[in-house]
Amino acid sequence: MNKIGYFVSETWVSLRKNLILAVAAIAVVAVSLGILGLVVMGWNMFSNMIKNAERKVGEVDVYLSDLTTEEERAAIEAFLVGIPEVDPATVVYKDKETALREFKERFKEQPELWEYIDENPLPNSYELMTKDPKDVGVVVGVISNEATYRERIEDIKSASSAIEKLENIFDKFRQIGIIGVIALAIIAILLVSVTIQVAIFARRKEIGIMKLVGATNWFIRWPFIMEGVSEGLVGSLLAILVALAVKVWILDKLIENLQFLRLSLSPGLLPVLIPCMIIGGIVIGALGSTYALGRFLEV
Amino acid sequence: MRRVTKVYKGNVYALEDVTVDIERGEFTFLVGPSGSGKSTFIKLLIKEEEPTGGQIYIADTNINQMRKWKVPYLRRKIGCVFQDFKLLPHKTVYQNVAYAMEVTGKSHRVAEQQVPEVLKLVGLGHKLDAFPDELSGGEQQRVAIARAFINRPPILLADEPTGNVDPSLAEGVVRLLERINAAGTTVIMATHDKEIVNAFRKRVIALENGRIIRDQDRGVYGYE
Repeated sequence: MNKIGYFVSETWVSLRKNLILAVAAIAVVAVSLGILGLVVMGWNMFSNMIKNAERKVGEVDVYLSDLTTEEERAAIEAFLVGIPEVDPATVVYKDKETALREFKERFKEQPELWEYIDENPLPNSYELMTKDPKDVGVVVGVISNEATYRERIEDIKSASSAIEKLENIFDKFRQIGIIGVIALAIIAILLVSVTIQVAIFARRKEIGIMKLVGATNWFIRWPFIMEGVSEGLVGSLLAILVALAVKVWILDKLIENLQFLRLSLSPGLLPVLIPCMIIGGIVIGALGSTYALGRFLEV
Repeated sequence: MRRVTKVYKGNVYALEDVTVDIERGEFTFLVGPSGSGKSTFIKLLIKEEEPTGGQIYIADTNINQMRKWKVPYLRRKIGCVFQDFKLLPHKTVYQNVAYAMEVTGKSHRVAEQQVPEVLKLVGLGHKLDAFPDELSGGEQQRVAIARAFINRPPILLADEPTGNVDPSLAEGVVRLLERINAAGTTVIMATHDKEIVNAFRKRVIALENGRIIRDQDRGVYGYE
């Protein structure tokens, strides 16, 4: 009787030890994949914001006077295309009518902005992109210092420096996020491998007997790989729940309440992100158990 | 076995220059005091240990050069019985034997047919659902023999199979091995049980300090 009590308590202790470890491994998988999900969603929202913004980073708009003749326009186009920092393929002429149509399209929900206009107040313009967004200032300088066309160029506008700065900040944020995700994924792999090591140790006698009766290495390995993969899978499902909760309760609210920022999540993002997170969990689990098997199960 | 040597760490010679042929269908006792190299002999045959020198052939195949992934298939052709039974305590008698079949990829249905048959053969047809610790040492060793035999291996190795069995039941265990041998399986039994060896009058290979000192048909234990 004493012996049975001893075995029961031993088993319970080992099970509880393993359970705590398994829960820890699952939690770290969930945290790493959850952060991955949040970074991806945040990045998507921000890049949509930049895409929806009036001017893209690196874009320069050159507004022409209505007095510009066709020859002058051709000369200005040649001059703009010739600036070394400008990407020649992006230089586009936009006439007044196109500009008005686009304006109406953009503000179609606020018709009061254009309903009472009888004459088109918008100028003809050129839109162009710099090869490198950093050169916007240089390009603006070159254009405004060109004496020949000063009379005909009414205004030069480029993307606001605020957006540019925001983008830099967000780039840093994304880099830190990615490094964090990688670091956490490695910790998750190691933790999964520890739980598998404990499981291998607990079943070492059984493993020895399996080898003796001629079990192939894969026959022995599979249950452990499945254990690791299921830990990864559960972790990824938790991460998806967290990511969805953040989306519904935080991101959707932000999008709704900060409409002027034109935030949005691409509709195609979640159908790609969710399977990727599941695959990520499976990969973490498989790598963790493979690592443990490679180190602690010599076959 | 050709000129096989096994050196363990620290220059311990477990087997030294051992050459021996064991023919198909033979029943051979491997005798000798503790530390004479009997267990190493067995371990080399199932590639649990690698020889330091020499060649080992099983059915004309040199197992030294065998690729790692083939080792499980070698072991399926060699049944093993050990002094400590090596049964899984949380599995029933039936499950312990069926396990050896499942490992080789046989279906549950095949196991359901053959396991009770083999357990009946070893005289445990009525204890399918018992757990190992509910059985006597002799009964546990019969379960281990059933497990070793379930895949009908051409070779059966037994390392001190009577060591943990009540002396009055030991003879029954060896009788069982003899019956398996009569069905065509080569049996190699390592033992230092003098009474058993003398009672059965089989081929005896005697080891001492890792060397074969005697090899005789219908032999006796020979140590006093």
